Amino acid sequence: MATAGNKNINAKLVLLGDVGAGKSSLVLRFVKDQFVEFQESTIGAAFFSQTLAVNEATVKLEIWDTAGQERYHSLAPMYYRGAAAAIIVFDITNQASFERAKKWVQELQAQGNPNMVMALAGNKADLLDARKVSAEEAETYAQENSLFFMETSAKTATNVKDIFYEIAKRLPRVQPAENPTGMVLPNGPGATAASASCCA
Amino acid sequence: MESSELHDLSDDADYAASQQQGSASMMRCDSEKRSSSSDHDGAELIYLKDNVAIHPTQFASERISGRLKLTKQDSLLFLSWTPYKGQTSNAKLSEKDRSLYTITAVPFTEVRSIRRHTPALGWQYVIVVLSSGLAFPPLYFYNGGVREFLAIVKQHVFLARSAEDANVFIVNDFQSPLQRTLSSLELPSTLPVASGQSIYPLDGGSSSENQGRTSAGVDNRVSSVSRYGLRKQKSHDPARDLSIHLLEKFSLVTKFARETTTQLFSENNGLGSVDKRWNNQPVHSYPEKLSNIAEEKYHESPHSYPVNEHDEEIPNIVDVPADPLEFNKLSLVWGKPRQSPMGSKEFTAFLDYEGRVVESKALRERVFYGGIEHQLRKEVWPFLLGYHAYDSTYAEREYLRSVKQMEYATLKQQWQSISPEQAKRFTKYRERKGLIDKDVVRTDRAFEYYEGDDNLNVNSMRDILLTYSFYNFDLGYCQGMSDYLSPILFVMEDESEAFWCFVALMERLGPNFNRDQNGMHTQLFALSKLVELLDSPLHNYFKQNDCLNYFFCFRWILIQFKREFEYEKTMQLWEVLWTQYLTEHLHLYVCAAILKRYRSKIMGEQMDFDTLLKFINELSGQIDLDSTIRDAEALCICAGENGAASIPPGTPPSLPLDEGILYPQDDDVL
Repeated sequence: MATAGNKNINAKLVLLGDVGAGKSSLVLRFVKDQFVEFQESTIGAAFFSQTLAVNEATVKLEIWDTAGQERYHSLAPMYYRGAAAAIIVFDITNQASFERAKKWVQELQAQGNPNMVMALAGNKADLLDARKVSAEEAETYAQENSLFFMETSAKTATNVKDIFYEIAKRLPRVQPAENPTGMVLPNGPGATAASASCCA
Repeated sequence: MESSELHDLSDDADYAASQQQGSASMMRCDSEKRSSSSDHDGAELIYLKDNVAIHPTQFASERISGRLKLTKQDSLLFLSWTPYKGQTSNAKLSEKDRSLYTITAVPFTEVRSIRRHTPALGWQYVIVVLSSGLAFPPLYFYNGGVREFLAIVKQHVFLARSAEDANVFIVNDFQSPLQRTLSSLELPSTLPVASGQSIYPLDGGSSSENQGRTSAGVDNRVSSVSRYGLRKQKSHDPARDLSIHLLEKFSLVTKFARETTTQLFSENNGLGSVDKRWNNQPVHSYPEKLSNIAEEKYHESPHSYPVNEHDEEIPNIVDVPADPLEFNKLSLVWGKPRQSPMGSKEFTAFLDYEGRVVESKALRERVFYGGIEHQLRKEVWPFLLGYHAYDSTYAEREYLRSVKQMEYATLKQQWQSISPEQAKRFTKYRERKGLIDKDVVRTDRAFEYYEGDDNLNVNSMRDILLTYSFYNFDLGYCQGMSDYLSPILFVMEDESEAFWCFVALMERLGPNFNRDQNGMHTQLFALSKLVELLDSPLHNYFKQNDCLNYFFCFRWILIQFKREFEYEKTMQLWEVLWTQYLTEHLHLYVCAAILKRYRSKIMGEQMDFDTLLKFINELSGQIDLDSTIRDAEALCICAGENGAASIPPGTPPSLPLDEGILYPQDDDVL
């Protein structure tokens, strides 16, 4: 425990997904434990940070919340550049948002950090009556693409913390986020110095 | 000033005559060949295309036609575009405007990608994006031939079609897939370049970080540009480049010296030390040789402004980091105190007995300095937005209202008549409606006017946006539009009137929402030029930290600070911006003013792009409006014509109207 500095990790996480899928709501629930029924649309991008304790380590997530409209797609690489993790969000009551999520997965697989931890969130899980995307369908897709999948509800807080914690757990102990080659360095003293320097 | 050295034949009598007759490109091609082989020290002309134009505004009528050329020198391919002299479609586009856009021999080693647009209807154009992240404005091929152009480029440089977008051609090969995406998408880090001026600093003294990033020879580039013959004398020596660059700056400063009291400058002596800790940063960004010069110069003359701006000893680099303080000081002197908002009685005094605004400028000035009382906004906003003409009478406005009401009903009927069966077969409509439905229910719902379930005002907002997406089907709906509409509907309290005011506003700001993001890029580019002019240390800081795309100001510009101020303050700011009293682009000066206010924090905390964006987003609700407007006003006055010249003509929200007034044409250039 004396070398706790080694166990501090900074990780950039980006949220991507269709308009109104609930990206901002998930972050707001996670970071501030708030929910606004009519969360305003995100213009450009928003930034949040939250520190978690995971397995004796502290993980500071630097969360980038992006605009969903296709017209702003071109801004996205700026935000997922160097990201260690991504949550791709869709709305379980909206099939098109699931299709859009798949597009994001493809893009990240092609362009993102190769070691990126990716999660698929089927949000609005409280709206069971309006469900259009089955959990099985999403789960199958996630498995085929090495993502982990959770159904979440920002409104009821179901699985919200869990999905962020799961990401934090899966992050490589040493962040390759700033390293374009994506190489994972062995865990050891000094190795985390760069990424841990900002942690309290 | 560089562009005056351009070799072009467009002032040639033969050329002008042939131009009048239309296309005769073979003949001109020959003459050009002759000239280029003699003038360009053996540069080989590969390709020449006439009638390639730039549209500085969204109005097709305003275009600058010119000639696109590819030349080759020492196995390097160069692209250049030269506007014809005296051939502009619009007399308002001055010589200066044209030179702003001139593209002077850019080597393809600097080009990252070319995006082509070859619509079935309308003009074909290409957008050339540089590896620095900057992009030139679209080049319209009025006689077609984009395909041929690309084919010829392909013969000389490696051109790969982007995997993501078949219309994007990537030049050379890129190091990482990410960069490939960045270049092939609509280019987040892209700014349009109004060439000459902006290429120029890249060649200049501060190229060290370019070398770090692109590795492939900046030196090589500089020398080949110089061998090519344009900017011959300037390009060899980075220090010299910088000095010429600084010359422009000093001409600005000396202009202040004339315009302000000398006392302001003498204050600099005392202030120099305050800002000294920042002096190091920009200096370190220059190549070592330069920073040595800088330090020497600093010790020699820490605060001397050249009496004569043509003096040889101008590269007094350390004075540049210090110069923003003059602006800070000036702002205290120049920004006028805000007045109380204009009331109804005062407004009536601006009207003649039939309701015409007698002196629109005086009215705009009054609103600029104090804003409008809320109840009166409904009457004044339609003027500011251009929905009502200032010289219209009460009766004419009343008549217009009823005519426009019917017109609105007709437009609205277009989508209201779509049956569910038709909607099933109308994906675009369903998508738009879906998007609008999602956004209106989350626009300003905490604000009284829009709060609560089944709020009729929310329905009105939905109807207006959907009607607008039919009225302007090409633009459609884009996130951010509801932010603009919300205060307008709140003020106008009438669906049709709000719609037409919104239409008028979108005439100016529609380009913000263009698919190609050109309107945003133009404004972000203009902002970067303004900050460069008004605070070069800050500009250099952004440059060193890869923040030159100014995307951290994206939200500010896209919706004109709607998310940065509370509702009432936003309306106050908007009516000030809409007066276009000092400039059409006060919003850019507002950006500069806010950035300057936080410059010490930004640079002191060494913010990188991420931190900066977070910081800027979190300024929301923290910015004092009145002092910001005063600072912006001061900066605008300080920047003067140099400021106006930094903003390419047609940068939103420019309209072709009133340009003569809004761009003071002063030939008394230092």
